[in-house]
Amino acid sequence: MTTIDLPAGRSERRWPTLNRLVGVGRRSPTATVGFVIVVTFALMAIFAQYITPHDPVEAYPRNILNPPDAQFWLGTDGNGMDIFSRVIYGARYAFAIAVPAVLLSIVIGVPIGLWTGYRGGLFDEGLMRFFDALRVFPSIILALAVVAAAGPSVINVVIVIGLLDSPIFVRVVRAEVLALRSSTMVEAARAAGNPTWRILLVHLLPNAIQGAMAQTAVRAAWAVRISATLAFLGVGIQVPTPEWGVMIRQGAEYMVTGQWWVAIFPGIALVVMVLGLNMLGDGLQDLLNPRRKG
Amino acid sequence: MKVRRFLLRRLIFIVPLLIGIVFFTFMLVRIGGQDPVEMLAGPTATQAHIDLIERELGLDQPLLSQFLIYIGNVFTGNLGDSWISSQPVLDDILRRAPITLELLFWGVGLGALIGIPVGLRVAGRPDSWFDQCARVVSLFGFSIPTYWLGLVMLFVFFYLLGWAPPGIGRIGLVVIPPETITGSYLIDSLLTGDWEAAHSAFSHLVLPVMCIAIISAAPIIKHTRAIALEVYRGDAVRFARASGLPRWVVRRIVMRNSTVPVMTFVGTEITGLVGTTSLIEFVFAWGGLGQYGLNAIISGDFAAVQGYVLFLALFSVIVFLIIDLTVVIIEPRSSEAT
Repeated sequence: MTTIDLPAGRSERRWPTLNRLVGVGRRSPTATVGFVIVVTFALMAIFAQYITPHDPVEAYPRNILNPPDAQFWLGTDGNGMDIFSRVIYGARYAFAIAVPAVLLSIVIGVPIGLWTGYRGGLFDEGLMRFFDALRVFPSIILALAVVAAAGPSVINVVIVIGLLDSPIFVRVVRAEVLALRSSTMVEAARAAGNPTWRILLVHLLPNAIQGAMAQTAVRAAWAVRISATLAFLGVGIQVPTPEWGVMIRQGAEYMVTGQWWVAIFPGIALVVMVLGLNMLGDGLQDLLNPRRKG
Repeated sequence: MKVRRFLLRRLIFIVPLLIGIVFFTFMLVRIGGQDPVEMLAGPTATQAHIDLIERELGLDQPLLSQFLIYIGNVFTGNLGDSWISSQPVLDDILRRAPITLELLFWGVGLGALIGIPVGLRVAGRPDSWFDQCARVVSLFGFSIPTYWLGLVMLFVFFYLLGWAPPGIGRIGLVVIPPETITGSYLIDSLLTGDWEAAHSAFSHLVLPVMCIAIISAAPIIKHTRAIALEVYRGDAVRFARASGLPRWVVRRIVMRNSTVPVMTFVGTEITGLVGTTSLIEFVFAWGGLGQYGLNAIISGDFAAVQGYVLFLALFSVIVFLIIDLTVVIIEPRSSEAT
């Protein structure tokens, strides 16, 4: 017997997911850039205490509103705190709010979407009308009003964002389930005597979950944006927490007196992070939904 | 005839929606940790005092009868009094609504005026350099926080260049505002021929309107492009091209066929842009309904919050209705579809 060496095919067989990712990266440079941005921010968040030159909440009373220089790379704010360190630490808050909020809306939205799409009927109809009705409120006003009413705390911000975003996941999953409900596959499963929960979990969920996963990055971008907006308005996270929205709030008054660095740098971090998530989201939607047209 | 029947059917659907919205605003201030009685009474109030306030506000009654009283008040135009301004909420809202509408109108109008032609244009040549530029610009528009954009604008055009007035209010401090006709300083001063006031009002409008236009143009570009791309792939365009019709005729076909979906999209976007406008008002101290509402929410002015949210919902419902009606009028076949 002769052995045939196949060096070219080998890596492809061993790393199918990796190869797929590389393939996507080549096809969609936007997604690659987005991915790199998000990973960079994630590393910043994880290793914040090793890369920051100063403590993010330590005030230097002699260095209030220092312009950017060698000691304070991005300057200091009105309390004399180092803006560079605060911007780096801000990434932690972005992830700490966006990740649980998106997880929460998945945990709420996906089961409801599965159930209501499969069962249909009055509950389904009522729920959809309710979601339609929610659309008459601007999302930021709704989030703000609910957070203010529920009591402004970080946990409430996460819960409200997660709740307000869950209809998106309900819709996506429901649409997939509706399309699959009367497919041969599901009919066969039903004929074989599978109970409903098994059909939902084993047959429908794996097919429907992809559409939901494709939404995650874009929804995370929304969560980061809206939580920063709430903080900017003074609802939710408070001064002197190193969160980007709070920092922009602190710097707002200095924009018309010339101390631009206080609000500009956290704003840039926020824009780049949201941009990265949106770009990644575009790529995810292409990857997980091959039917989507460019 | 058909239009009237359509309108009637729509109006019937709106009634339960309105009741639902009123219920929602009613529940909004009752779900959470903040107690209006405690805020009114202050930290040193005795239990008897608290009970008294509770009875005065009607909060000792069961929830259902509270709701019925509330809904009765709402439909007779009594939205309660604001704690901040100590004025009836309805008066506050009606006085400030035109101020916000002006900003929204110019901002979204300019955004649509930029976004729709650009979207149509790039759809004609997908993946050209212009298309790539438009995509990047619209991605940025999606990602920039409204309030931060406003602050950057103020810094560049007020502090650095000195072209724009400071972001406080709608007209210069030393300029006498024109008498109120429509509530818009710009239009009122033009109507009365007060050129100084018109100039001041215009220069105050430029930055906030630009911010709203930038934020609103991004989704408009993206969706107009997607809609027009579909039309370009359709039979009408293929037939026109096969017939050898010139480019501008093809473009006109695309424009006509995209009108309805683009208009519907812009209409649904307006709801979200009301939120954007509120933030811009907050940054530029515009003094309109948006700023009023945000301040009410932040400071827990319950009656004002309820009135404001209710008014926003009503506004969206009216906008959706107008859009639907216009669509039915310019494209009669769609009334049968709904």
